[in-house]
Amino acid sequence: MREMTFVDAAREGLAEEMARDPSIFVVGEGIGVRGGNFNTTVGLFDLYGPERLRDTPISERGFTAMCIGAAAGGARPVVDFMFIDFLTDAFGDMFNQMSKLQWMSGGRIKMPIVVRGCVGVAPSNAAHHSGNYYPFFMHVPGFRVVMPSTPADAKGLLKTSIRSDDPVLFLEHKSVLTLKGPVPEGEHLVPFGKASVAREGRDVTVVGIAFMVRRALEAAEELSREGISVEVIDPRTLAPLDIDTVLASVRKTGRLLIVDEDFAPCGAASEIAMQVMERGFDDLDAPVKRVNGLFCPAPYSPSLGEHIVPTTTAISQALRDLLAE
Amino acid sequence: MARSAGAAPDRDRMLSMYRTMLTIRRTEELLVKLYAAGRIYGGVHTYIGEEAVATGVCANLRITDLVFSTHRGHGHALAKGMPPRELIPEVLGKVTGCSGGRGGSMHLFKPEIGFMGSSGIVGPSITLAAGSAYAAKLLKMDRVSVAFFGDGATNNGSFHEGINLAAAWELPAVFVCENNLYATEVPYATVTRNVDVASRAQGYGLPGISVDGNDVMGVHKAAGEAVRRARSGEGPTLIACNTYRTRAHSEGMRDAGYRAAEEIAHWKDRDPIKALEGRLLAGAATQADLEAVDAEVKALVEEASAFALSSQMPDPSTVTRYVYSEG
Amino acid sequence: MAFEVVLPRLGWNMEEGTLTGWRKKDGETVRAGEVLFEVESDKAVQEVEALENGVLRIPADSPAPGTTIPVGTVIAYLVQPGEQVPPRKSGLAAHVAPTLAPSAPVSAAPMAAAGPPEGSAPDVQTVPRHAQERSGRKHRAISPRARRVAAELGVEWSRLRGSGSSGRIVERDVRQAAAAEIAVEGGSRMSSGVRASAPATLTTEADASELVRLRNHFTSSRTPVVPSYTDIMMKAAAFALQEHPGLNARFEQGSFVRWATVNIGIAVDTERGLVVPVVHGVQSKTLVEIARETADLIGRAHSGLLRPEELDGGTFSITDLGMYEVDAFTPIINRPECAVLGLGRIVARQVVVDAEAGNVAIRPMVALSLTFDPGLADAAPAARLLQTIKQCVETPYLWLAGR
Repeated sequence: MREMTFVDAAREGLAEEMARDPSIFVVGEGIGVRGGNFNTTVGLFDLYGPERLRDTPISERGFTAMCIGAAAGGARPVVDFMFIDFLTDAFGDMFNQMSKLQWMSGGRIKMPIVVRGCVGVAPSNAAHHSGNYYPFFMHVPGFRVVMPSTPADAKGLLKTSIRSDDPVLFLEHKSVLTLKGPVPEGEHLVPFGKASVAREGRDVTVVGIAFMVRRALEAAEELSREGISVEVIDPRTLAPLDIDTVLASVRKTGRLLIVDEDFAPCGAASEIAMQVMERGFDDLDAPVKRVNGLFCPAPYSPSLGEHIVPTTTAISQALRDLLAE
Repeated sequence: MARSAGAAPDRDRMLSMYRTMLTIRRTEELLVKLYAAGRIYGGVHTYIGEEAVATGVCANLRITDLVFSTHRGHGHALAKGMPPRELIPEVLGKVTGCSGGRGGSMHLFKPEIGFMGSSGIVGPSITLAAGSAYAAKLLKMDRVSVAFFGDGATNNGSFHEGINLAAAWELPAVFVCENNLYATEVPYATVTRNVDVASRAQGYGLPGISVDGNDVMGVHKAAGEAVRRARSGEGPTLIACNTYRTRAHSEGMRDAGYRAAEEIAHWKDRDPIKALEGRLLAGAATQADLEAVDAEVKALVEEASAFALSSQMPDPSTVTRYVYSEG
Repeated sequence: MAFEVVLPRLGWNMEEGTLTGWRKKDGETVRAGEVLFEVESDKAVQEVEALENGVLRIPADSPAPGTTIPVGTVIAYLVQPGEQVPPRKSGLAAHVAPTLAPSAPVSAAPMAAAGPPEGSAPDVQTVPRHAQERSGRKHRAISPRARRVAAELGVEWSRLRGSGSSGRIVERDVRQAAAAEIAVEGGSRMSSGVRASAPATLTTEADASELVRLRNHFTSSRTPVVPSYTDIMMKAAAFALQEHPGLNARFEQGSFVRWATVNIGIAVDTERGLVVPVVHGVQSKTLVEIARETADLIGRAHSGLLRPEELDGGTFSITDLGMYEVDAFTPIINRPECAVLGLGRIVARQVVVDAEAGNVAIRPMVALSLTFDPGLADAAPAARLLQTIKQCVETPYLWLAGR
């Protein structure tokens, strides 16, 4: 199978969708001629021009709300926000309009909008370029939250997101953008609400969020050399959340670790842990464990940032600790 | 009564707008009574005194044109064609309301006739209308999007970002500011240096017009031109309508302490419905004609009220439907 | 119809107010918009306008100024010329809408009795349960999974020592306890270093009428899973092994180790040879559970997809050669187990049912053979085990009832 980077795979998905549906258009800063800060739209401006690849002023609230209106008015917009830290200006209209118009109108106003861009702590990006914030969107009714960790999933899930009639947050961790992986030829769609078992194992389960899936796999490989068999699950979408796959794994292993670089309070890990407790209590041989990023904004200096998010070493140790529980 | 040949279309239009303004007035008066009797939940922000703005603007619109409204949106909804029979039950929280009881006064919806929602948040009507205008242009639809908003919204970021985008991309939109001099209870002049709303347009590069918001013919004319511009691809217009609400910001709120009785009395004298009556009576209609219209409207509103009062509340098991698309 | 003048709601949460005074008199003509009366609520006095034209009529029983009354109370009427005041008393107008989100109860007495309002936030003062337990816990902690496994394997966990953190009993502790050594009885034969002796076989014949009847019940009724004879014999054997636990053992590391749980292997003849998958904890599983499990295991035995742990841990085995028309045979022990039951075919035979009367009858009969390791048990205990198995065949109700 051919190998592509995460970014290229996502872009291929976007290109395919734009070719089949002329009501899809992209807005964002620099996504026109320049092809996007993260190369999300390279080559598309030449094909479709400024109406469908619309460069915007620095006005996230304005152009996101504009896209809400466009979706309500029959188009299928893609907001390419670059860094989620910038998107925060639009949160007000996302919570009050984007997530509610369908419900308020009794389903008569549709909201087929994709809000996509980068999340995550990357070295020395510092406090205004390292945001995650996805739990906010898991928490509010109306949103879909999609976080692939492989190129194949990036393509398949972006296509599904664009075709969805719901507002979708399609969040790409900065540290997986250049990750290479196999991507199937031909039409490739990945459904929402279907986790993938990234690695099978028998002794302990670890659920990773986005980039943490990659680190969890490294930790699993390390532990396999110690005779420990680790099962790694990638939820792929946080809303809807496929808890059944996690439950089946916990039924097998009895122990669950969740690794999420976002802050612990009210995060994805706490939601997963609670659902496992609710439905899989009798399968738990130890309390559910979580490893999160440190509870502070992202620092600039490398020495401060080294352990700000869970490292592979920390994950391995957490797994060993969990097995000893 | 002498009527020139050219007066006939004017007369029909005037009578039609008279009917619309009366429908708004009588509906709002009914809601005031129902509110006072404790029959209504939450907030009701009446449009009494401002009827000419919604009426004059919407008389220029087709059913396919879209209107994005405010918290003071009953007038916009009725003028866009929502019958009182769907508005009144909604404000009473009944299942027969236009939003199935889900929205109440501030979340009235009827996308089938282009009414895209009254709103509890100030400002987004501007950006949403710009967005639906963008979609119309992209999808080559002959469709104008209208945003209503108050003086309060002119100082909100949505105004700046939305109007800028609409002007920059020549979107088929009309931005109608209903300047009633108060944002909730804060006088516009105390929080704004330049109180001439229309003059802001120049900064964004689109035309801005000021009109007497209580002269429905004047509003109609200005809006007509703006709608024509939008439809012909010439881009958006900002219309600032100077008007006044003669009741409190919201039913039940005190209307004292920030407004002088004289000011309210002054504006009551400039009642837009009385103003149109005066013009009609000067050659286009008789007192009997006008009373006949009022009687019809009153009967319509009474019937709608009885229907609403006897309607059911929505089924609680439906509350979580439509959080997501149902396919 | 006379227009009702009510005490209005002047704020989103207002439930009641005080009529402080009338600004018009009874009998006075009033125009809509004129101030009619004043109301005091919360902080301030507000003027209330008339909403209709008419003549003001204040009934004699209208609340006196200074009284606090609920929102919606009818306090007067505005009548048109010729209209009468309605005869009914002042009171609440019909269907006054309740206020939003009850916060503090307004009228103290009734609501206090009713308890906290519906939908009130959960008590955030509650101490989390596990914190309480840790402070005052008298019993050992056990993980939910370990508790479940203990129930499955019939392990009494309360006296176990836990290897989990803070002494918690976890699954591995329970599984090890299930395999716990019981002090082996007997003398010199049991000293370490003794090898397993040459096995011996005991044979008997059982009347399989009830067995057949039982199985026919399953095949004829619409149960989703039909247990095989082997499945039924597994339950019988497990019951018997619990009655005679001395033979439920494995020869491990030089000595016989008796097991508390009965794990029975079933011999499956595959293309690759004999394979013996094990069903663990037969004594705790229902017949249907066993039937499902053996179906799955046998299927995967044929396709070579059994996992190592599914071939391990047996304490007893059953071999069924009935399908090959074998009447009786000497089954071979599946080491390191210590005993095995062989089943022959069920065949109709003429048997003596009453020797004195000389009565014979045709009955379905089956041969049961028990091979055992004499190093583990003498012949008599083995015979007692076989006898119990036979009794279970002839009277299934024995093992159905359980212990």
